[in-house]
Amino acid sequence: MELRKYIGRRLVQVVIIFFVILTVLFLLFRLAPGDPVSRMVDPDMTPEDAHRLKVELGLDKPLGIQYLVYLKNFFTGHFGYSFHYGEPVVNIIWSRLPNTVLLFTTSIILSALVGVFLGKIASWHKGKKTDSILTIGALVTHTLFLPWLALIMIWLFSYKFGWFPITGMISEDVWLDPDSGFIAKSLDVMYHMVLPLSTLFLIHFGAYLLIMRSSMLETLKEDYILTARAKGLEEKVIRDHHAAPNAALPVVTSVGLSLAFSINGGALTETVFTWPGIGRELVFSVSQNDYPLAQASFLLIAAVVLVSNVVVDVLYAYLDPRIRY
Amino acid sequence: MTVRERFPLLNSFLDGWSIFKQSLLGRIGLVLLILFALMAVCSYIPPLIDPMYNPMTGVDPAITCCTPPGMRHWLGTDFMGRDILSQLLAGARVAFMVGISAAVMSIVLGVAIGMTAGYMGRFIDTLLMRLADMIMVMPTLLVVLILAAVFGQLNIWTIVLIIALFRWPGVSRIIRGQTLSLKQRPFIEAAKVAGASHSRIIFQHIMPNVLPLAFLFMTFRVTSAIITEAALAFLGFGDPGTVSWGMMLQWVWKTGHMFKAPYWLLPPGICISLITLSFYMLGRAMDEVLDPRLRKEDQTD
Amino acid sequence: MPLLEVDNISIGYHTRNGYLKAVEGVSFVLEEGQSLGLVGESGCGKTTIGMALMGLLPPNGSVSTGRILLEGKNILVMSDEEKRRIRWRKMAMIFQAAMNALNPVQRVGNQIAEAILVHNPSLEKEAALSQVEGLFDLVGIPRERLTDYPHQYSGGMKQRAVIAMALACHPKVIIADEPTTALDVIVQDQILEEVRALQREFNIGIIFISHDISIVADMCHEIGVMYAGQLVEFGPWRTVFESPAHPYTKALLSSFPTLTGKKSDLVPIPGETPNLINPPAGCRFCDRCPEAQAFCKTTPSQWVDIGSGHKALCCRS
Repeated sequence: MELRKYIGRRLVQVVIIFFVILTVLFLLFRLAPGDPVSRMVDPDMTPEDAHRLKVELGLDKPLGIQYLVYLKNFFTGHFGYSFHYGEPVVNIIWSRLPNTVLLFTTSIILSALVGVFLGKIASWHKGKKTDSILTIGALVTHTLFLPWLALIMIWLFSYKFGWFPITGMISEDVWLDPDSGFIAKSLDVMYHMVLPLSTLFLIHFGAYLLIMRSSMLETLKEDYILTARAKGLEEKVIRDHHAAPNAALPVVTSVGLSLAFSINGGALTETVFTWPGIGRELVFSVSQNDYPLAQASFLLIAAVVLVSNVVVDVLYAYLDPRIRY
Repeated sequence: MTVRERFPLLNSFLDGWSIFKQSLLGRIGLVLLILFALMAVCSYIPPLIDPMYNPMTGVDPAITCCTPPGMRHWLGTDFMGRDILSQLLAGARVAFMVGISAAVMSIVLGVAIGMTAGYMGRFIDTLLMRLADMIMVMPTLLVVLILAAVFGQLNIWTIVLIIALFRWPGVSRIIRGQTLSLKQRPFIEAAKVAGASHSRIIFQHIMPNVLPLAFLFMTFRVTSAIITEAALAFLGFGDPGTVSWGMMLQWVWKTGHMFKAPYWLLPPGICISLITLSFYMLGRAMDEVLDPRLRKEDQTD
Repeated sequence: MPLLEVDNISIGYHTRNGYLKAVEGVSFVLEEGQSLGLVGESGCGKTTIGMALMGLLPPNGSVSTGRILLEGKNILVMSDEEKRRIRWRKMAMIFQAAMNALNPVQRVGNQIAEAILVHNPSLEKEAALSQVEGLFDLVGIPRERLTDYPHQYSGGMKQRAVIAMALACHPKVIIADEPTTALDVIVQDQILEEVRALQREFNIGIIFISHDISIVADMCHEIGVMYAGQLVEFGPWRTVFESPAHPYTKALLSSFPTLTGKKSDLVPIPGETPNLINPPAGCRFCDRCPEAQAFCKTTPSQWVDIGSGHKALCCRS
């Protein structure tokens, strides 16, 4: 019951934040210097089409009405037409969403799990060689400049060794072949995902490792660890069953706090590897002055970050009974 | 009375320094940062030797394409015949400029907002912290991107300002927590009873106690500002008038030289990564100085 | 053969500032079903002794000399594995519950059952949990609170759960370290009463560690007063209480409102405890001692037998 109330409260907060972002974006696009119409209507459209779209978006009406039209359009999924693709923006971003979610969630889950695991190992061997290697390795990989790492990965593993495709998410020969089934297609995507995923993983796992390590060292000083030791439990049991679940809590918090940072990295990775996700679409649309697409991509990314935040909160509540009950 | 006893601030600094010195990571970080600072200072030299060493406009008349390192150009040249080493040195200057100014601004903002929220409490606290929550979940890089979409090309100081405006919430939360706990302490109560004004309490009693923490956060903010600017430049939305390391990478990438010219691809990336690493190590060492919990091992009974 | 014999143990910690001699030359004997109290200010080494008995000294601490005989066997020479096996089965500990002694993310019942299971690997989990139900009855916690988490318990209930946990494997010795600090007086009395009843029922030897001499006097047959790492007075509680021999005990008694004695003015002890990295050569209390004389500062103090098991570490007694 308490948990449901907690999640409910978080959801309300998220909806409010999203609404504020929606409004700020509206004001930004209408009030920034320059002609707002040119930001909404493709300059290459025929005058008739352009006029129809203007009426549709309420651009001939006062600002208040425009805002209501904007909200109505948002809730009915009407984001205008992409200048570059000439298609409804909503179609484009919906087709990109799964790709981003796939890469983003896989990388976060993978790096958090590995980070927690290695952080635990580092804390067991505190002050020894294993600890130093893991800690320094984590520091170094975590501070690498992501786009550069991505370029190095491509240079090394695609260009020099030729092990992985240079860019993209699918190979046309696999996907256009009517004979290839679901498994062949999935394997193809996974094959393309190896490099972008490794890039994101290398950048992120170090942070989780360092947090888990220091959190574990803090937790091992707690009194309930002394209790566990006094009970005659084996060290391994104490660490895995008593210390680790408590020590992992700050890691979950930090996953939540670093979601914004992770999505930045996601967008950079998608761009360098030309992974067809929303992040890359945002970068691309901004460079092409494709305003409707940029606006919609940004909103969708904000939504992804906010929803992931709630997911992390629920996970935290699930792991920590002090919030659940 | 010794000098140390006469200046308590100097004394606590020296105490901190003696702990800092014990940290290997902190020492490495400091040495690296000094090297980078030297690079930034040296960036003024090459253009004086010959205009062709100007990082932005200097083109070696004898060279029209990308060339590997040699006597004339120690790290080689880019596709237009510009000297990579002078670009790299100029990049160090930009990194410090961006990093430190954005960090100072965001820390000042964060400390001011955090202290206000913590000290005033009630409605103002709730309002400011909700605002902080909201900004905290925004991916800074993508926010700058969308602003670039609306406002067109951003110059370097606008970028710095935007980074600062979006990076204060983390600091302000910590400072708020610190202020809240300070507010409960007897010496604040005593000051209030003695009739000290709000501004006096804030500046005389609370500020000196939260500043070390703010200083620690500054090292982390410096790195995030450097990374954000570099990423922005890498994506092609940087200030076209400055040569930053991110900009150099953008040139390698966009001109398709990343496979052909590793001598051009490697240095800027290594520099961004290393400067981030050294600020990070410095931050961790300072954390040890400030965090009394780490010294808990010595406690007995 | 006594149940537990502590023979001349010294314990030290390696710290940044040097080797800290936390306990020096402490000896005492605990018989079955008896209780013994260790009193002293914080930092006097009483908790260190408790931890050494359980074999739970932090990595920078170790017993440098002496023997700890549990049923005649020296536990200091046992291997880690042997020590792990006797922990909780022979000797358990009641921690201060206010100090987070229960794991916040595990159900209380499971934490107690875990102690039973680790020493009876053949037992089913259900059987262990039903034993825990019995323990809950014993200490007066409703059975349905078995599946609760620690934060759902009140302070007193947490303390009861910690006591139930200590009883889980029917130990011979229980070390109770400040078991009622941070509880309000009424709950404190209830819990002490329960501990006393359980001790009688199961014939357990208890070592009671506290800074509060009135509680110790209330609970224990014998009292050891500790100061700066040394035992300074030892004897049956009544004699120590009624005719304290060591000036420190006298000061301690006058700085607490007593339950049994008449209400006297509280007199705080002036001065500070000596540095245990470089302890003074003479009597450690002499700087704060109202009865100190010139030779106290230079001559190491000697045990003086006052009779009927009562002795004090003071040249003037």
